[in-house]
Amino acid sequence: VAHRTGEHNVDSSTESVRFTLAGNTVVADRGDSYASAALLAGKRVLSRSLKYHRPRGAFCFEGHCSGCLVRINGVPNVRACQAPCRPDATIEGQNAFPSTNFDVLGAVDHVYRAGMDHHTLMTSASVLNLVVNRVVRALSGLGKLPQPSETAPAVTTASAAIVVDVDVVIIGGGPSGLAAAAGIARPGLSVLVLDEQLELGGSYLTDVRFGRPAAQNAIATAEAAGAVLLAQTTVIGYFAEPGNIRRGVIHACVGGSHARSSESTLLKINARRWLWATGGYAANLPFANNDRPGVLAARAVGRLLVAHNIVAGDRMVMIVDGNRGGGASSEIRRSANALSESLQGNGAWVQTVAVDDVASVSTGSLAGLVGHDIASIELRNGQSIACDTIAVIALPAPASEGPRMQGCEVDLDPDVGGYAVVIDARGRTSVRGAYATGDVTGYQGPAAAALHGSAIASVIVAEIQAEQPVEVSSDGR
Amino acid sequence: MADKTMLCRCEDVTLDDVEHCVTRGYRDIEEVKRYTGFGTGPCQGKECLALVATELARLTRQPARAIAPFTARPPLTPTTLGVLASDPSAHRFADDIDDVDGSRDP
Repeated sequence: VAHRTGEHNVDSSTESVRFTLAGNTVVADRGDSYASAALLAGKRVLSRSLKYHRPRGAFCFEGHCSGCLVRINGVPNVRACQAPCRPDATIEGQNAFPSTNFDVLGAVDHVYRAGMDHHTLMTSASVLNLVVNRVVRALSGLGKLPQPSETAPAVTTASAAIVVDVDVVIIGGGPSGLAAAAGIARPGLSVLVLDEQLELGGSYLTDVRFGRPAAQNAIATAEAAGAVLLAQTTVIGYFAEPGNIRRGVIHACVGGSHARSSESTLLKINARRWLWATGGYAANLPFANNDRPGVLAARAVGRLLVAHNIVAGDRMVMIVDGNRGGGASSEIRRSANALSESLQGNGAWVQTVAVDDVASVSTGSLAGLVGHDIASIELRNGQSIACDTIAVIALPAPASEGPRMQGCEVDLDPDVGGYAVVIDARGRTSVRGAYATGDVTGYQGPAAAALHGSAIASVIVAEIQAEQPVEVSSDGR
Repeated sequence: MADKTMLCRCEDVTLDDVEHCVTRGYRDIEEVKRYTGFGTGPCQGKECLALVATELARLTRQPARAIAPFTARPPLTPTTLGVLASDPSAHRFADDIDDVDGSRDP
């Protein structure tokens, strides 16, 4: 159901990689992740869910949801969308017996049709509780432990942590972060940009109105100004200085946090200013069976097209949240309209419906027991639309847990996507020295985010230049 | 697959589960998190927090701004113990607990 656009086949037909997915050989391009290659091969079910053993497949394609967790070369719980294809790799599903396509434990989903309150599962006789306890323990847990005998050695040693001192650390290498990096580095301040994705560019790479040329332009501008940019570098936390929550160190992991420890290095970053440019997370909307493999974030559909030249489906229904108004909603719809046109230009059929009109997503097969491919979307008015893929157009949820960990104030505003970091007109958060820009302050879209990033850069430069060359500790220690 | 509206993909928490939770009197996001387990899986709330909070505001007829998020704690994403152990200062965490005493984020 997914296919490559024409331009891609011409470009890189020579660079192919073979790997094994649930026992089947998949041929992928070198630029693919296991998740994009699996989607292209028509294998949408990658694993099963923890409790109801519902089929799971990639949703966000940006390393945030848990849809694509698989076992790669014996290492459990790796996000298939963040792992580039390597020759001869073995990819296996998780939480399923005997296979991800037919999992007998999927019966749990049907037995507990109306849901399962685990607090009331063990209220019977104590002997029965012992049995239930054993069953629950056998069922629960995410994946299985790594096997020492496989390609991964049982014990790996990470290289020692590296301490870095910079004027400004920018978390997020998307439109706002890259624009800010250029503006701050140009007058000679040291800037480090950390981005967790495989490629720098953030939402440029999910939005067909911008795409890779815009990302490459922003990257080149920031690098020419002297900023240091690190992709595949995941921030794992903000650690306050002992005795002072307002000063602390950002810990980040070069090589990705869930890469094997031998392949990653811990960075401890001291900075005079922190700039959160973390953007937003692909969000879902509430409708029945919104977790079915083949239901993708529209952002993911955009990323597949922009970064992998993949049209995610032949017949696609886009589901939009009709309850939101305001500038953020208009902007996300402009982005979705451009995506829709682009998909149609590549041979796909696209229709848009409002989430309030959706009754459920269904498969053609009997109760979805054996087949899991989406067959149609059922509307509340009784209409049924045949389709193979669903794209959810929802405002991205601001990626604000880093700022929250630092103590920055956030506000829940569903009309901008979720918990947005509160900033003043100068980009300052409620924590001294911490700033935020772009979609983490509420969805703006790539163009507005880049402009905001540049504006905040000027504020930060002026503030640092006004300070003593060596900052004197203001808390008297 | 039975019809379910999933709010938390990691822990299989549905809209029905959150409604059930509210009928039992849990109206705070931390209470809902502890009762249903939402936000405690590999995504740590990245996909579900805003969605659950928005539904919780609607179900409890509270303004969105009244719903505070749950506490964010490190690591922000699944991280191998090998990476954490590569930090020399991680080996003296027992001392750190004394140092941080009284100044920790609640």
